Amino acid sequence: MKTEQITIILSTLFLSVTLLLTVRPVFALDVEALVRQVEQQYMGASSRSLTIMQVKTSHWERTLEMEAWSLDRDYFLVRITEPAKERDVATLKRYREVWNYLPKVDRVIKVPPSMMGGSWMGSHITNDDLVKANHIEKEYDLRLIEETETYFLVECLPKNDAAVVWGKIVYRINKTPQVPEQVDYYDEEMVRVREIHFDDVQQVGDRIVPMRLTVLPMEKPDEQTILQYRELVFDIPIDETYFSLRNLEKP
Amino acid sequence: MLMTLAFRNLWRNRRRTLLTLSAMVVSAALLILALGVFSGMFRDMLASATEQYYGHLVLARAEYHERRDLFAHLDEEVASRYISAEDTEIIGISPRLRSFGLISLAETSQPVEVLGIIPEREKRVTSLQNKLIAGDYPSDAVSNGALIGQGLARKLKVRTGDEMVFVTQAADGSIGNDLLLVTGIFATGDSRHDNNLVLAPLRWVQKIMVLPGRIHEVAMTLADPMLAAQSADRINAQLPDDVEILDWGDLLPEMREVIAAYDVSRMIIVSILYMATGLGILNTFFMSVMERTREFGILMAQGMRPWTIRGLVLLETCILGCIALAIGLTCGAVMTLYMKLIGIDLAEYITPVTYAGGTILPRLHAVFEAGNFYVPAGMLLLVSLVAGFLPANRAARLDPVQAVREV
Repeated sequence: MKTEQITIILSTLFLSVTLLLTVRPVFALDVEALVRQVEQQYMGASSRSLTIMQVKTSHWERTLEMEAWSLDRDYFLVRITEPAKERDVATLKRYREVWNYLPKVDRVIKVPPSMMGGSWMGSHITNDDLVKANHIEKEYDLRLIEETETYFLVECLPKNDAAVVWGKIVYRINKTPQVPEQVDYYDEEMVRVREIHFDDVQQVGDRIVPMRLTVLPMEKPDEQTILQYRELVFDIPIDETYFSLRNLEKP
Repeated sequence: MLMTLAFRNLWRNRRRTLLTLSAMVVSAALLILALGVFSGMFRDMLASATEQYYGHLVLARAEYHERRDLFAHLDEEVASRYISAEDTEIIGISPRLRSFGLISLAETSQPVEVLGIIPEREKRVTSLQNKLIAGDYPSDAVSNGALIGQGLARKLKVRTGDEMVFVTQAADGSIGNDLLLVTGIFATGDSRHDNNLVLAPLRWVQKIMVLPGRIHEVAMTLADPMLAAQSADRINAQLPDDVEILDWGDLLPEMREVIAAYDVSRMIIVSILYMATGLGILNTFFMSVMERTREFGILMAQGMRPWTIRGLVLLETCILGCIALAIGLTCGAVMTLYMKLIGIDLAEYITPVTYAGGTILPRLHAVFEAGNFYVPAGMLLLVSLVAGFLPANRAARLDPVQAVREV
């Protein structure tokens, strides 16, 4: 009797492991493409955008307007256009490096590694988000954990040797149109610390993208950052020379 | 009569008396010196923690003490509202606004703490003006003059006259940024301050933080730092609930414990050293009493009461103790004075050590503290009396008939 039970358990285990091993790669390809598409939805091969960023904290609220350019995943330049006090403050990202330009003192400052986790322009977006978000599938193992009629749920766990900020990321991606609905970020203790919600889905050129993105820090329920795209143009003629330190300084 | 007798007895065996006396003098003098040097070390530590950064008392909103909340600010004039100008106990009052941010020059950037201060008032609380290794303390003449630590200067490769950019998150959410002109560089030996601390004019920091007329804390110095806790209690009684004064003992609890532990260890050191000295005295007087057995017998036979004999021997030890005390205290004071004025520089052999929030400087240097004199002095007298008591008792209990026969 006992032997039988053990045999059943073992064979079930064996079966499920085999299933997992054989099934996973099929999904993995699918899932990576899914997540990459989410992370690059605003970029394409190249892009230009006008955005309004509303940041609300328990002490202040402010609205920034900015213009941004991107090329592949590695080049990104954003310049503030409003309010006047901060006009021409700009950030340049080239691969893993981030610089800020401060027009008031007319200086370019490289963000040191110790400050990469710091807030970007006072928002709930960090410098790390600018640098790392686009490399999710390189640093995390992706796995489909749920599929319903309307959405996929993809869990990302950091690879063993990856130096990452999050303990876990969960993407909820809508099936038709294939756009993200929500991304949840967990810390190393697996506590959810941040949510990003996507809505206002619109057709832009031949793509469908959510034009509004809301960042909610979990430990501060009364705070949020909203990014609203006003204009989004893909595949503009631009090359990497545009993303130079000199261009960072010169509007 | 007894006095004369005691003096003569002491001087009868001059060499023995002098030897005992010198043992007592040396132990008392060295003890006073050692305690003075110990106190000097602790004074340095306390001074480094308070005079380099905190001050003796710090007034701030309660939540600011807890977590340096940028938004827990106070009115600039808060100090004058609660602290009377006639308070003679408080000798320095400095309003400060603190900002954490990034400072950079060319390609290098460092996270720093910028303390907005009013130079003339801050100088009465901290003493970084005495730790300058280059340039000058910021003055009201330069609106963006900054004093930075040696470690920071080295990391950023800046010299006096260079301009650095400071960037921080202002209170209205904007990116506060402006240029700071390095007017001076300080070195305290405490790496936390040398690597992170920047002093800049209060007005400048208020502007960059968009907090006009606001401060985070008021740092104060007292005439007697040891009375900080009492002063804090006294002023706290008059403060509203959301404002609180902490003394250096609250800000640096380890330091308070180190000083309490020092008071105990002082007693232990004094006890051990005097135990040895006491045994020497005991030995001397036993010898002297034994030698004089016959003499005591004759004195008693002539009618001297046993308690007079006891008194005589005790008086002898007492006189010896007093002489030792006088010479010992003088020698101790002279040596302490030397160590106070000149001291011994150990900078060649050791580097400053930061411990319990304070920095132990590489020097031997003494300070005068009343306790370092009266504790050894009192103990010396006590030990002489205790060590004299046994021989005195023995002398008093002699049987005159047998004692006279003793050769």
